[in-house]
Amino acid sequence: MEKMSRVTTALGGGVLTGRTMHCHLDAPANAISVCRDAAQVVVAGRSIFKIYAIEEEQFVEKLNLRVGRKPSLNLSCADVVWHQMDENLLATAATNGVVVTWNLGRPSRNKQDQLFTEHKRTVNKVCFHPTEAHVLLSGSQDGFMKCFDLRRKDSVSTFSGQSESVRDVQFSIRDYFTFASTFENGNVQLWDIRRPDRCERMFTAHNGPVFCCDWHPEDRGWLATGGRDKMVKVWDMTTHRAKEMHCVQTIASVARVKWRPECRHHLATCSMMVDHNIYVWDVRRPFVPAAMFEEHRDVTTGIAWRHPHDPSFLLSGSKDSSLCQHLFRDASQPVERANPEGLCYGLFGDLAFAAKESLVAAESGRKPYTGDRRHPIFFKRKLDPAEPFAGLASSALSVFETEPGGGAMRWFVDTAERYALAGRPLAELCDHNAKVARELGRDQVAQTWTMLRTIYCSPGLLPTANLSHSMGKGGSCGLQLMNSFNLKDMAPGLGSETRLDRSKGDARSDTVLLDSSATLITNEDNEETEGSDVPADYLLGDVEGEDDELYLLDPEHTHPEEPECVLPQEAFPLRHEIVDTPPGPEHLQDKADSPHVSGSEADVASLAPVDSSFSLLSVSHALYDSRLPPDFFSMLVRDMLHFYAEQGDVQMAVSVLIVLGERVRKDIDEQTQEHWYTSYIDLLQRFRLWNVSNEVVKLSTSRAVSCLNQASTTLHVNCSHCKRPMSSRGWVCDRCHRCASMCAVCHHVVKGLFVWCQGCSHGGHLQHIMKWLEGSSHCPAGCGHLCEYS
Amino acid sequence: MVSVINTVDTSHEDMIHDAQMDYYGTRLATCSSDRSVKIFDVRNGGQILIADLRGHEGPVWQVAWAHPMYGNILASCSYDRKVIIWREENGTWEKSHEHAGHDSSVNSVCWAPHDYGLILACGSSDGAISLLTYTGEGQWEVKKINNAHTIGCNAVSWAPAVVPGSLIDQPSGQKPNYIKKFASGGCDNLIKLWKEEEDGQWKEEQKLEAHSDWVRDVAWAPSIGLPTSTIASCSQDGRVFIWTCDDASGNTWSPKLLHKFNDVVWHVSWSITANILAVSGGDNKVTLWKESVDGQWVCISDVNKGQGSVSASVTEGQQNEQ
Repeated sequence: MEKMSRVTTALGGGVLTGRTMHCHLDAPANAISVCRDAAQVVVAGRSIFKIYAIEEEQFVEKLNLRVGRKPSLNLSCADVVWHQMDENLLATAATNGVVVTWNLGRPSRNKQDQLFTEHKRTVNKVCFHPTEAHVLLSGSQDGFMKCFDLRRKDSVSTFSGQSESVRDVQFSIRDYFTFASTFENGNVQLWDIRRPDRCERMFTAHNGPVFCCDWHPEDRGWLATGGRDKMVKVWDMTTHRAKEMHCVQTIASVARVKWRPECRHHLATCSMMVDHNIYVWDVRRPFVPAAMFEEHRDVTTGIAWRHPHDPSFLLSGSKDSSLCQHLFRDASQPVERANPEGLCYGLFGDLAFAAKESLVAAESGRKPYTGDRRHPIFFKRKLDPAEPFAGLASSALSVFETEPGGGAMRWFVDTAERYALAGRPLAELCDHNAKVARELGRDQVAQTWTMLRTIYCSPGLLPTANLSHSMGKGGSCGLQLMNSFNLKDMAPGLGSETRLDRSKGDARSDTVLLDSSATLITNEDNEETEGSDVPADYLLGDVEGEDDELYLLDPEHTHPEEPECVLPQEAFPLRHEIVDTPPGPEHLQDKADSPHVSGSEADVASLAPVDSSFSLLSVSHALYDSRLPPDFFSMLVRDMLHFYAEQGDVQMAVSVLIVLGERVRKDIDEQTQEHWYTSYIDLLQRFRLWNVSNEVVKLSTSRAVSCLNQASTTLHVNCSHCKRPMSSRGWVCDRCHRCASMCAVCHHVVKGLFVWCQGCSHGGHLQHIMKWLEGSSHCPAGCGHLCEYS
Repeated sequence: MVSVINTVDTSHEDMIHDAQMDYYGTRLATCSSDRSVKIFDVRNGGQILIADLRGHEGPVWQVAWAHPMYGNILASCSYDRKVIIWREENGTWEKSHEHAGHDSSVNSVCWAPHDYGLILACGSSDGAISLLTYTGEGQWEVKKINNAHTIGCNAVSWAPAVVPGSLIDQPSGQKPNYIKKFASGGCDNLIKLWKEEEDGQWKEEQKLEAHSDWVRDVAWAPSIGLPTSTIASCSQDGRVFIWTCDDASGNTWSPKLLHKFNDVVWHVSWSITANILAVSGGDNKVTLWKESVDGQWVCISDVNKGQGSVSASVTEGQQNEQ
């Protein structure tokens, strides 16, 4: 288990090793303090006062300082501190106001040294002078701070905070005479130890009690304070007025704050309520903790870094009666867990993408703002190995468009607005829509429309005689179709392989059927394709060799995969002419030379990829039936609609469905239709195309869809007497039990349409009022008003 | 293929964790570690700050827009264990509800399809998923799925509203019988599909196993003309899977590996017609993927190419600020 592996840190001559571990205490801890050798820790609480040796694998109890016959209140510790110069010297603050010092060097079992009973209430904090061996400071709930010289029996001086209670006192590490104290009223005071009469400076640091403070171990001016307002603030005390430099917002009130050794911007905090975790913050990143220790099951009461020059070991005591050693490396790091990127696909095919800025900058090969004076401090990245997440994080948010020039979904809006779906003959609708699609550069869709026109309009006009003229003509007619399904200008690699595999079975039998006319067809085919420029547009590559014969196309045109052909647009307008006229062999020849043929074939082309097996079948049938009634294509059209829908172009599916109406509706099951309709309507509404959406709803044949327009219309009726809304029936009020609307003419209740004069608000049945007004323009109710109805 | 149309100066003070466009694509909501949620009007390439929502006490991980038929409603979830539902009324955004039912960071929020009413699913690091249903008059009913994912749930995504059987037979005026489903992804490397039983309880319907590390995001594809159900998932293991289910009962899901990236993949997002998938990874790249007709997923675009201009414009912006 890597997580629990040991960490070894060399510190000057000594070496610190250890792992994340914890031990059970007999009672809840209130405070802990570490000996300067970093090998022992003292734990103090209401009913515990013990020294533990920190060994590599475990804590070992070394000494129990709670001795004596009966538990004294003097031993109920609120705070404990171990002198950082003298390994034998400890001080505790008792809840009864007593300050006790302990000398571990005493030979007797009772190590108690001195007892100061000067404070009247609980002593919240004791603090040794960092360099002076005999100076001890205490801060109490009674509002006083006292300075003791351990060589004397009484306090040397008393400082009055002029306030209710002192929560913390801390000697400055650098300024010999200075200490800071924090108060329950939100103030922080700075004192000179030589001047007990008044404080040097005072400022309001927090809203509510300031529970703790800590001087920065290196920067002499920095003081961190933590309060009940859930904030940790870092103050620059060197300036004349304390300046707030950083403000960290935690989740719960801050009970303890401790700067992390060797990491200029890190500090650890714990809370006395709600939150049991210990957090390490980078003060420049005030919103997300850099690390989090989640070992404790109850509130953490004391935290201490094990060694003043080692950033990786943190010790903590908790109300859950446990003592822990945390390894920074094992901490959970919310920053690391946090998602650094946001991504969203917008409606118009645009992408919103937010990403960490440093990453962005690094990617473009740009120096990430190192030392550039023009940039504010938080853009500078100081590379500090001890701080793996150095630097403030910020994100860049960009909106991309997935296609240049207008949102990728612009076509959808344009198409929706311009399509004609009803009110004109089918042929015109198809032509119009084809034109719209072509103008929007959607050739495939345009071709589909022209093809639909061909299928559903032209064959009906074709004299049957022409079609059944001869096998030859029928064959050539079929040929055009067959040719075309090799032509692909739809998405390349359209899965034709699998399709062909599937079609093989069908195709085999087709070959037999085709046999009789095979010669003729092949001839014509050659005639048609050879010497024309059309084949260049063909894409035959994915047709396997054995399938070639099925298509009866000259095999030399089997090009390997080629880019999809783009068809000349001028070919379209002439297309129907080609199909309309019975194609005679010589006629065909002509057209094969002209680009028109490619146009007409291409039209059919987009049909074909939908399912070639069907086209094969229908063609072979055509050879026998010698005519092409639209029904033959219904399967094809159905598959085409499915294809479009699956491609995400439900617009096309629905538009075709509406335009073709009865011609295809029966082939597609109602549920699918309904699904398409609702999907399309939903899309239209997202694009705020209310009119189009309405039209679609109106034109839809699905009952569930067409009732959509009614579903969202609500009529609110209020009673004309009591002015309350009428719930169940529209004509009698549930509350005042009166009929709301009486006809002024017949004096009966109006249950349906009620017309009334807006001048006198009398009215009645439409019929009656109309009749009345024929005879008189006065109100039928007799109010004398000259009613006006428009 | 891809170009930057707008670089939004969010003035967030820390990392942005999510950005979501609203139903009409006109507003963009962002949320950040700096505890704020911001809403921008991004119409016509502009960027007007509409609202700066403060109320969370920790980094805000995700935001979600509700369907506009319920008004302008935005949900946000945060590290502070809370979910806040914000509502715009008379042009001002205000906190309308606060849900504090989780014991740990709430990582994901997602609104159910509008057909179901206002229902919000929230996935949390405490392993639970809670479902908030608006019952009218400012009241929200809470249902909780405990231990949905051990160690934590990272993402939730609703299935599009699908009605079993035809709508036709439904008597008019009566609400159709929807089967509510959503997918969740978690730290147990699993994707789970949840289904509401007839008694209103949520039951685990499926467990999709393929990832070898935390699942970071799941996205159920919108059902626009598609006959199949599709879910995209991405993970810490760098892999993106596309899960499809063809049968009506919804019991057999088959994964298809879209791609194995070299870094964590944070997000997957479907285009509205569900034919393009955007994927963003730890290398700060966004790639767009489309399924070719033979069923293979191909990368059609690489947003990273536009990245140079992103950072350039960002830098310019900063210099202008100096």
